[in-house]
Amino acid sequence: MSGLMKRVRAATLCAALAAVAFPAHAALAPWSALHGKTVLFVTGGADSPTPNDDALVARHLEQLGWVVHTVDAAAPASDADGAALIVLSSTANAHVLGNKYADTPVPIFTWNTYDYPNLGLTGPVLHQDFEVIDPVQHYPDSFAVLYAYGANITSEISRAVGLKPRLFGTLYLEPQTAGWGRPGPGGTVIADFKGIADHAALFTYEREASLEDGRVAPARRVAFFLGDDDFHLLTATYGPAASDPNMRSWAIGLQLFDTALRWAASAPPRMPAYDPSALQATLRHVAHGKRVLFVERMDAGEGAEADEHMVAHLRSLGFTVTVADQSDPERVRGQDLVIVSGTCSKWKLANKYADAAVPLISLEGLMSDTMHFSGFDRYVDYGEHGEERESDDPAESYLDIVGAWNPMAAGLKPGLVKFAADPGVLKWARPLPDAIVIATLPNEPQECAIFGYPKDARMAGGFIAPARRALLPLDNPTYDELTPQGSAMFDAVVLWTIGG
Amino acid sequence: MIRTARLTLAGPLAAAAAAVAAGFPAAAGTLPFAITHRIEVTGGSPIAALAFAPDGRQAYAAAGDELRSFDVATGEPGAVVQARGQLVGLATSSEGGGSLYAAVRAPARLLVLSLHPLRIRADDPIRSGAPSALLYELGEHALYVESRSGHSVARLDSGDGKTIGVARLQGDLAQMAGDGRGTLYVANPAGDTIDVIATDKMRFTGAIPTPNCHAPTGLDLDPVGRRLFVACGNGTALVIDTDMGFAFEQLPIQKGAPLRTVFTFHPGGPNGWKGGAFIAGDGPVLDAIRMNAFISYTSAGSMPLSGPATALAVSPAGGQLWIALAPHRADVEILALSAGGGAQ
Repeated sequence: MSGLMKRVRAATLCAALAAVAFPAHAALAPWSALHGKTVLFVTGGADSPTPNDDALVARHLEQLGWVVHTVDAAAPASDADGAALIVLSSTANAHVLGNKYADTPVPIFTWNTYDYPNLGLTGPVLHQDFEVIDPVQHYPDSFAVLYAYGANITSEISRAVGLKPRLFGTLYLEPQTAGWGRPGPGGTVIADFKGIADHAALFTYEREASLEDGRVAPARRVAFFLGDDDFHLLTATYGPAASDPNMRSWAIGLQLFDTALRWAASAPPRMPAYDPSALQATLRHVAHGKRVLFVERMDAGEGAEADEHMVAHLRSLGFTVTVADQSDPERVRGQDLVIVSGTCSKWKLANKYADAAVPLISLEGLMSDTMHFSGFDRYVDYGEHGEERESDDPAESYLDIVGAWNPMAAGLKPGLVKFAADPGVLKWARPLPDAIVIATLPNEPQECAIFGYPKDARMAGGFIAPARRALLPLDNPTYDELTPQGSAMFDAVVLWTIGG
Repeated sequence: MIRTARLTLAGPLAAAAAAVAAGFPAAAGTLPFAITHRIEVTGGSPIAALAFAPDGRQAYAAAGDELRSFDVATGEPGAVVQARGQLVGLATSSEGGGSLYAAVRAPARLLVLSLHPLRIRADDPIRSGAPSALLYELGEHALYVESRSGHSVARLDSGDGKTIGVARLQGDLAQMAGDGRGTLYVANPAGDTIDVIATDKMRFTGAIPTPNCHAPTGLDLDPVGRRLFVACGNGTALVIDTDMGFAFEQLPIQKGAPLRTVFTFHPGGPNGWKGGAFIAGDGPVLDAIRMNAFISYTSAGSMPLSGPATALAVSPAGGQLWIALAPHRADVEILALSAGGGAQ
């Protein structure tokens, strides 16, 4: 083989490995790539409430380069065949729409709040799972929706817009109509009203993410906060104000709309296949030259053996592993990854490693508050199943995969997966919207067992992740009881976390 | 304090309106204003500009090379001053005991006149191009002279007439408006934008687009609410928040060009509108936009005119809106309107 061919092959392999290891998100397609594609714009047609901005939206979509095919709510779902995107206006009657587009493998961008449950984006209960704020029924709140909070600052949409964890102006100054929804754990809340993540103004589901109703998103889904006639009031700056970075980052309503549209129509990331051998091969490649600090309670009783096995596994993959005791001073310099074992005492570990500027995996969910993973309220913001006298919930061996699209899910399909051979203690936490949730405890969608914060993510207390963070719930002996799927997830989480 | 002064003046003018309005085409829509005076100006030259004295008692018209004054209360003509050149713009100020500024197209000059008596006090050349419009900004003690042919706006010191700076602009130039605190807006009908100039160094700082509003020519500013009222040739008016450059209200108006816009607070007195923008052009129609609140504007009706409007001016102190109409037969007509012609 020639030197050139070797270099080409090596470069190709590296690129492929990097794609497996690091792609939390696919890139946004450039506008030019979307030019000329068809958008099915579903409105209320002749039954639309007036006034409405549907005509303005259609013209805007055309100006963005799309070919817009407008139909009314009663049109068959087959009208979406061949379309690159379905856009659902709030003027379409949600009862007429029903769930006809729910299973359509075409991306959907919707501001039809009442239709959110039909699409599985939220639960079905008005005021609890979704709500439309309007100046007649909710006059004070119709001012509140002029502002939204940047809940997620690391999603592709957030990064493209430059979203910050602070307020921004959604709509121009008059009291307006706007909708919010409460997505399931498979969704990503990008902006919310009043800083309440359950009142999401803009949220998304990646393809293959689990929807709120347990179904799987057949294509990307975006829910946006607009009302019938306030598209023209989406904030933007022009003229001299556009040169002011503060004004520019405040008035981002239209930019969010456009970017979310572009995200919806962009190609989603390639789904990883469940292949533990390939995953380990990738991990071996990545492990070469990498150093891991494994923090444990040395000479622990229960769990000591599992810790040894974890360290041995990591070393077998090629990592250089240093074992530290929980009481040792923090020394992360030169390390590429810190793993905090479940054998560590939260009390003894104190706040060590929480701010470490290297990737970190916590195997102990009860440290979620000290690690900035969640709020401080034990058994509300974080907790456990199966621990006698500390939990009312029974031991568990299954997890519910809700973020199958992400490499941390190891290519496992959405839904229940047996994580450990026997029911045992499983820890959970409620991360902030910037986290990517991979798995929850069964029947407890708010209790997230596996999740990761990307670098620069906003964590609890306003802490900004200096490097990736992940929670993987391995109570003291659980590592030795992992199923093959559980072991694959261990490797996948290590692979993802060390990548940033 | 300002509101009280306007209230006192609005009453008698409204009473006068009812008497003079008879015989004029009835106001269309709900525009609650009526004709106070109908003034015929002989000579046949179109009136290029109108202006009111700061106290609202006198009005001035630039017709050809003549400056004519009128008594606002009676509509009676007063002094006439020859300008030795075609007048294209007028502005007044209270500086120097009351001044009237007049821009002469050729040879390009700025005339400064005393108001009592109306007499030329200074006659200074303008070197930035043939003037096409004139604007005075009290807060800046500045005059802005627009030159459509020269694609420029010059800032002059209102005290001595000296040129301080010149901004060069692309496209066409139409009506100007200033906020009196460092920003000048110029309608650009060719670019469908409002061009923005920082007046400290007379530099272009950006263009505000006028979405769905094509060929903007009419422009005025509410300096308190920081709203620009833009009138476009395609029959659309916009209200723009100048802090963001954001057009948040779009309203229908007459089609035609060139349109002119004037804005004033409480055009019908404090019990009437909060403010109003008035638009006239080739229509021939007078359109009004009513300010209900700083964030709320509605179309307030329209009034047919007997001919295209060539100039428009509003006097908060005098409580009147004057419209100059294009020559019809041999005469030029000025209509003076005030509140009182309908329900407020």
